[in-house]
Amino acid sequence: MSYRNIFISLLLLNYIHAQSVFNAYGLGLSKSGNYAATSGAGSIGLVPTFHPGVSLDNPATWPGLKFTYISGSYNSQSVSLDNRNNITYGNGLDKIQFVIPIQDRYAIGVALKLVNNHNSYFKTDSSTFDFQGKNLITNKEFRSGGGLLAGSFGISFPMNEKMGLGFSVDRLFGSSRDEHSLVLNDIHYRMFNIRTYSGTVMNLNFAGNFYNDNDLIVLAFARISMTGKAVSGTLYQFDLFEDRNDNYTYDPDDYPAIVNVDTIEVSDIYAPNSISFGLNAGFRNDLNIFGEFQIWNDEASSANYESIYTDQIGSKTHFGGGLVKFGNIGARAWQDKLTFRLGAFKDSYGLKYSGKTINENGITMGIGFKFAVTGNQLDFSYRTGSRSINGDYKELVKEFNIGLSLGDVWFLRRREKQ
Amino acid sequence: MNFFLLKNRIIGFCLIGLIIFFSCEEAAIPVKDDGIPMKLDTISFPVIKAMSYQVPPEMGRTDLLYFGNNDGYNFSYNLIKLDSSSVTAGTPFSFYNDSLIIVDSLKFSLRFDSDSIENNPEFQLRYFPDGGDSVFNELESNYINFDKSIASTFISTGQLESDTTDTNQTKVFLNFLLDSSIVNAFRDTNNTDFNRSFLVELKNEESESFIFHSSDKVGADGPQLKVYYRQFVSDSVVLDTTFRTYAAIEDLSIIIPPPISTDDSSYLSVGTAMGLKSIVLVDMVDWILDPRAIISSAELIFNFALDDTLQNYTVISYPIINEGDFLQFSSFDKDPYDEDFNYYTSTSIVKDKLKINHRKIATEIGHQKYNNYGFKLEPSISNDPFRTMLFYSIDSPDYFPVMRVIYVLP
Repeated sequence: MSYRNIFISLLLLNYIHAQSVFNAYGLGLSKSGNYAATSGAGSIGLVPTFHPGVSLDNPATWPGLKFTYISGSYNSQSVSLDNRNNITYGNGLDKIQFVIPIQDRYAIGVALKLVNNHNSYFKTDSSTFDFQGKNLITNKEFRSGGGLLAGSFGISFPMNEKMGLGFSVDRLFGSSRDEHSLVLNDIHYRMFNIRTYSGTVMNLNFAGNFYNDNDLIVLAFARISMTGKAVSGTLYQFDLFEDRNDNYTYDPDDYPAIVNVDTIEVSDIYAPNSISFGLNAGFRNDLNIFGEFQIWNDEASSANYESIYTDQIGSKTHFGGGLVKFGNIGARAWQDKLTFRLGAFKDSYGLKYSGKTINENGITMGIGFKFAVTGNQLDFSYRTGSRSINGDYKELVKEFNIGLSLGDVWFLRRREKQ
Repeated sequence: MNFFLLKNRIIGFCLIGLIIFFSCEEAAIPVKDDGIPMKLDTISFPVIKAMSYQVPPEMGRTDLLYFGNNDGYNFSYNLIKLDSSSVTAGTPFSFYNDSLIIVDSLKFSLRFDSDSIENNPEFQLRYFPDGGDSVFNELESNYINFDKSIASTFISTGQLESDTTDTNQTKVFLNFLLDSSIVNAFRDTNNTDFNRSFLVELKNEESESFIFHSSDKVGADGPQLKVYYRQFVSDSVVLDTTFRTYAAIEDLSIIIPPPISTDDSSYLSVGTAMGLKSIVLVDMVDWILDPRAIISSAELIFNFALDDTLQNYTVISYPIINEGDFLQFSSFDKDPYDEDFNYYTSTSIVKDKLKINHRKIATEIGHQKYNNYGFKLEPSISNDPFRTMLFYSIDSPDYFPVMRVIYVLP
């Protein structure tokens, strides 16, 4: 009952993530990891960061969970332009997830997670010019928001005693809106576009134990993500109008009296495919060292930008590595129950048409605390880094994540009270 | 309740509370205006043809009624039509057909615009017993098309009288006492929509003017007729005399303007009592406006030509829907240029400039959906009808009219 309340309440919350210059390229930047434990290690979710041998973002590892978990992760982010006194803040839910391990061999799970962030807000400087004696002061503004969410269903099953597979389907959906406006002598001329999205991505995850002795365990992970159905949708293109009362929406006080909306079907605008590898070395003292690599491509054939930038992100390469020291839930001292995470990563995004590259580097750290006998876990993470594009903008990003996972026992007959 | 469930529930709701209290702050990222969609553009169109013309004065909607002479204007007479039902009670004239109703007298009154009487000439009243349904049209009748001879001989004379009933304000009225037989025409059972109209004029030519409230003046006393009557309840019982009031619903001063001056015909002129209007043709040929563009303003700009400080003078403008004659100043018995009322604009002169924003019709013209025959300028009824405004025409080297369009492109 309590889980259901939490789940429904979280669903009703809005996503308000921080804006970025780079969110204005196509659908914006894609998320690498969706849980605080993953973010704390700078991981893309392949290697274990939640629990020894388990990543909540990797279905192949779910059988390692000892309890059924409902988890949620919340994100707060600040983005500032380098050398400018310009900081924006945003926050929102990254993911909510429900995972049920079955008999240490299988698992099923469902999740709702953020895929892209399309939030951006740009403004040009005002310029003034004279038109035959009339003074015209003008500037432009551009706003966009929304993006893609994924409703995900995953299952995992063993290949043999040391290897497991996880298969998940991400149903992509969502909407985005963007608004261009030209401000002329304090009057806004606005033009809106609203897009709805729908598509499917399928993921095949692999986890394997390749070496195991008393002092060292070597785990290998891989993921292949393929587009099942490329994202398509509907573009609602509103005519330009004069927003006389400056209330951001078209109403009878505005000009002209009628504003038309063109409805355009768009197809094959986002088709992500990726291949990822991860390696984790676990030592006797519960210390883990990991490394990850990912190549991601958007194979969509149609352009998808309605932005101030006529370009979109077409590829991504990720390198990352770090340390995870898992806490022991059975330890007597509270500090021994803590999980520590540290990581560093480098992402390179390639723009589809200009060939320019967006580089993102960052370091991450995180801490997790286990409590209660059902393995509840509270995770915090902090990430700081920079993003830049060749010869242009450079952003400083700071991100704080909090994740809560509540465990319970399912498929286990309880003892009857005497 | 299970302890773990209770604890988990508390933790869950604490997390939700934390989420709800988070907020978002957004500052715009400054960007250069290089290749960013949306564009502001401007274009200027010359006025290539312009001409004033004269039509008989259209005084039907003015606030006042004029008699006498002033500044060369001859206020010949006034036409007034009454409502078919009385004020408040809604009593029709057919009410007096009842044999139990005895009409004792009638009084027709006009409120003088001044509260004192300096000169008190004699006025006379006529009506139109043979006029049928209608004898004049407030918006169309004028000194050329109205035949005064259809009126009766005068049926009453009257003079200005002070009314001191209101101790706070002295009102002056022109009262005509009428024979009760006049109501017989109004209650004609053969014509249920009788014209109910009067013609009021000065008995003798006067060199000065006399001004009265018209039915269009807000909060004033327009012309009205009071019918005093008694009603028999039975053969021997009669009620006290009472009255019904019938207000004017149309009234019109028929005036003859003075001759046109050189300025009137050489400048672009507008004036109600002079019957002056102007037409201009803006050269917008071959201009194509992007279908998704929006015009911020399409100002047809005129420069005021009089050395005068002017305030609150309003000019109405519409596109005309037929070819204009721009060759020379002309006088017409009837306005030859029909307007498209869908694109009506009303603009006041500000700082000696008249800037008429015609963006709606400019949009249609730019989209090639409308034939541009030109624009008409005429005075608003809210102006002093005896003021004539002159604007520089296309022959002025510095102050020629022009249309300036500012538009936004997606």
